[in-house]
Amino acid sequence: MKKIAIYATILALSGGGLYSVVAAEKTAEPAAAAATTATEAATAAPTEPLVCFESRKGASEITQQDIKPGWPNVKCSPTTGAALWYGDPFEGTVPMGKMPGLENLPEGHALVKPRSEKLAILPMCGTACHNGVGPQFNPPTLPKDKKPTAIPTMEGLVPDLANFQHGRGRIWCLDCHHTTQRNKLVDNFGDPVSFDQPQLLCGKCHGDKLRDWRDGIHGKRIGEFASNGKKRWFTCTECHNPHNVQDGVRNRGFIQLQPEPSPQLPRGMANADHEKVHPIPH
Amino acid sequence: MAISETPSAGPAKETLSACPVQPASADPSNAVVKTTRRDFLKAGGMLSMSSLMGTAALMTQSDDAHAAVEWAEHFQKNYRLMTAEEKAEAKARLERRYSAEYGKQVSVDTTDAQPGVLMGYALNIRKCIGCRRCVHACVAENNQSRGKERAGEKIEWIQVLRMERGKFEQEKMNHGYPEGLGIQVGGNAYTPAGLVLEGQYHYNPEKVPEADATYMPIACMQCEKPPCVKVCPVRTTYREPDGPVVIDYNWCIGCRMCMGACPYWARRLNVTNPVLPKEEMNPVTHYLGNRPRMRGVVEKCHWCLQRTRHGRYPACVEVCPVGARKFGNLLDPESEVSKILQRKNVFRLKAELNTFPKFFYFYD
Ligand code: SF4
Ligand code: SF4
Repeated sequence: MKKIAIYATILALSGGGLYSVVAAEKTAEPAAAAATTATEAATAAPTEPLVCFESRKGASEITQQDIKPGWPNVKCSPTTGAALWYGDPFEGTVPMGKMPGLENLPEGHALVKPRSEKLAILPMCGTACHNGVGPQFNPPTLPKDKKPTAIPTMEGLVPDLANFQHGRGRIWCLDCHHTTQRNKLVDNFGDPVSFDQPQLLCGKCHGDKLRDWRDGIHGKRIGEFASNGKKRWFTCTECHNPHNVQDGVRNRGFIQLQPEPSPQLPRGMANADHEKVHPIPH
Repeated sequence: MAISETPSAGPAKETLSACPVQPASADPSNAVVKTTRRDFLKAGGMLSMSSLMGTAALMTQSDDAHAAVEWAEHFQKNYRLMTAEEKAEAKARLERRYSAEYGKQVSVDTTDAQPGVLMGYALNIRKCIGCRRCVHACVAENNQSRGKERAGEKIEWIQVLRMERGKFEQEKMNHGYPEGLGIQVGGNAYTPAGLVLEGQYHYNPEKVPEADATYMPIACMQCEKPPCVKVCPVRTTYREPDGPVVIDYNWCIGCRMCMGACPYWARRLNVTNPVLPKEEMNPVTHYLGNRPRMRGVVEKCHWCLQRTRHGRYPACVEVCPVGARKFGNLLDPESEVSKILQRKNVFRLKAELNTFPKFFYFYD
């Protein structure tokens, strides 16, 4: 209290005159403004479960729900439907499994979100059609030219196959998919690899990217930032579409998407066309 | 600690007298308190002595909780000079006020810098697609004002600049200006090559990335030699031991010196009363980080102190769809950022200014 009294004295002695001006400037508008916007936002509350996509559309998704009152697991963008904020970075994750180079991480610190659950027909692939038996497949005889014959059913299931670009004609289905266990991928040695660990497969060719990914330089992780922290690792196929990595002529690894809204314009400015005017004609 | 106890009284005086228009501090939305104070000041008029009497009167009548809170906030010390108890007091006070104001349990963290941590950030400009998810993640996390009606009501800390993609052309090599006098200015000088003007940041195409553009997000670079810290007259903005440059909002007088000094356009002033709907408010806050601000104070990116002090990635890192954003401990040779510094081509923005940012751009 003594301390406050000293400050009060200083204030009173030096700032008495000016301080009355300060007080006069402070009007009562703030409380009212805050109240109206609050009610506005309340009416926009979602009625049905909000599902937002994470990295790219068509890969992993997350359903918005409250973990505790006022604390959602994720906030979705009202404009694009993309995940914008994580309340719980580890929701729906499982341990990554064995990954060479990450052995030093403490148990359970490398997590991935399983993708196989989302690929709904995956369990059937290996039993219904690609069960490894059939007149031509026993023993399996594979075509030499790596040109897959178009099968309408397959193309219907995976539309990207009609315009298959990955490898620019040098690779085909069975370079990545296991010959007989069709709900698995295949690694360097012909052993099956889970769809949840595509990095074991992709690293076969993209070794530099695998190295950068393992060291945290390439790709995305969420959770704790310490180098041995608990993280959810985004795997290759969560960001890249393996059948169409190039995205046609764009030749970029990541598909185009809708951007979030642009910032507010400064006072008195109707549009941002001035930004597009180049001072030097070209 | 550079500032001693005695000179701190000086700035306190200045806080209230130097800048007559901006409220010195505290919560402008508390109409009750304001009325009280305005009334007593009106009554007190120009006479210092009567002001003092009014002051004394308010102090004794502090049964009104809000009045007491506002009062205490006005006269609390600069955060760096507070003792542990004073910090705890300020924390409890703020938690009480915010919880009442936003209708939920709000926590105000005062965790100090952790030993052995120096935060660093790296951004891959080859990867950024300009989707602005980081911008909006930051707003969701950091309780910025998000009104739509009036200019200045919507505050975003990250700006994503769209840069025209330039090229050098063989045919233009020998052209120049002035023509015939030898080449003073090469022909390629008239084509954009990378940076053009200030870039565009209101771009809004249907899809990003566009073919002819690259994107460069900027925000506070958390300089090791921050120009904003040098100019702040009340020393309310300073560098924390683990790296980020922070602001004690209660001591900011809104003079905007720091905004002028920052070469990276990182700082924003709350020109209006912040518009922060209750449901959107993030209740996990840090005193030096994302606690709700008031009108007339400056704010900026602080690397999500409320998260990073507890080991969590900043919000923008977590939502970047292409993984262009990397965050880590510069003192740990195994961290993402250290690995990038070892292995990739790295640059700092406006390095010639010797601000030594801990925010690095890289490409591969
Ligand atoms: S506006 Fe900037 S320079 Fe001025 S008091 Fe606030 S933080 Fe310091
Ligand atoms: S979220 Fe990532 S890709 Fe999108 S603008 Fe920000 S840094 Fe660029």
